[in-house]
Amino acid sequence: MASHLFHGQLIRLAAANADSDTDTWANWARDSEFLRLLDSDPAKPWSRQQTRKDLEEEPKPHAFPFVIRTLADDRLVGFIGLWIPNWNHGDGWVGIGIGHRDDWGKGYGTDALRVLLRYAFTEINLRRVSLGLFAYNPRAQRAYEKAGFVLEGRMRQAHHRDGQRLDELCMGVLREEWEEKNSKIQD
Amino acid sequence: MNSHLFQGSLLRLTAANPDSSADVDALMRWARDSEYLRLQEGDPAMPRSAARAKEILSNAQDHDGATFILRPLDDERALGFVGLWANWTHGDAWLGIGIGDRADWSKGYGSEALRLALRYAFTELNLHRVSLTVLEGNARAIRAYEKAGFVLEGQARHYSRYDGQWYGEVFMGVLREDWEEKDSSSKIQVPN
Repeated sequence: MASHLFHGQLIRLAAANADSDTDTWANWARDSEFLRLLDSDPAKPWSRQQTRKDLEEEPKPHAFPFVIRTLADDRLVGFIGLWIPNWNHGDGWVGIGIGHRDDWGKGYGTDALRVLLRYAFTEINLRRVSLGLFAYNPRAQRAYEKAGFVLEGRMRQAHHRDGQRLDELCMGVLREEWEEKNSKIQD
Repeated sequence: MNSHLFQGSLLRLTAANPDSSADVDALMRWARDSEYLRLQEGDPAMPRSAARAKEILSNAQDHDGATFILRPLDDERALGFVGLWANWTHGDAWLGIGIGDRADWSKGYGSEALRLALRYAFTELNLHRVSLTVLEGNARAIRAYEKAGFVLEGQARHYSRYDGQWYGEVFMGVLREDWEEKDSSSKIQVPN
């Protein structure tokens, strides 16, 4: 049995700690670029109060939220989670963010995706994992491809940023593809 | 696609209605019969208050899987219930069923409800297996489960004690493959 489900090579997936994580987390949203890459809501700073409330909240049914901490110094660098909208179809949606620009491009996101997919396929036994991203986020797309996601579709001109209409991309990875890529489940 | 998931030849799978006094009364009436309660579950038999009946009906929609109230095709009377409590990760669900009034026992309602519940479990919830436990002495139920495709998988000895006598708890289950082989209605019909 794989007994280190939560550990990657650089990071581990952990539960949020509202007492120690709230400030770091809330501060990520001072960077509007981070917010624009994360989702399509209008970029808005996050209050400490709301952030703390979110972190203290018990996960909703069918949500598997984690924070990402470095193995080297146990530092909070981001979050990742799986949401299962319909169990009967065995599909889960991923959301991920690496908060501070200093931590971008360090491999944390790629490692966290690898750990999360292993969790999705070996612990909660999903059939596929899905995600959406924006055409203006090629860094994320490369990380998703490296993790095994393939481009499945494109919602044309779904977003409007800085005067341009931009596409939203849909990616997914099937269980069989992931198994083939990871012929042995790493312990 | 098979679009008659809720419809049988004797009864329908329907939503519970906690606001209907008829549904609340039915659940209270069933629980006046201690034999029904003993066959239904292992908890000590207790009559149900209106509040408890309403709570049970309200919770029916609110769990992983589905709980249905069984009603005849042509009226709104509640005959009983069938429920599936799913463990999604492993593709298993536990089945519970009850036909409430003795006058409705042995009329084929239970067998049809089982057939509909299994079709729902395998074609709509896409589960891999369905499990249940039943009191060793409940021969009527065991026959109905076997007819529906369940097989005996195990027994916990001396599990319940009624009137000074011990009864085992029988574990039964049906796998998707077994059910598909048995039931050709599992094939999705695509219109030409």
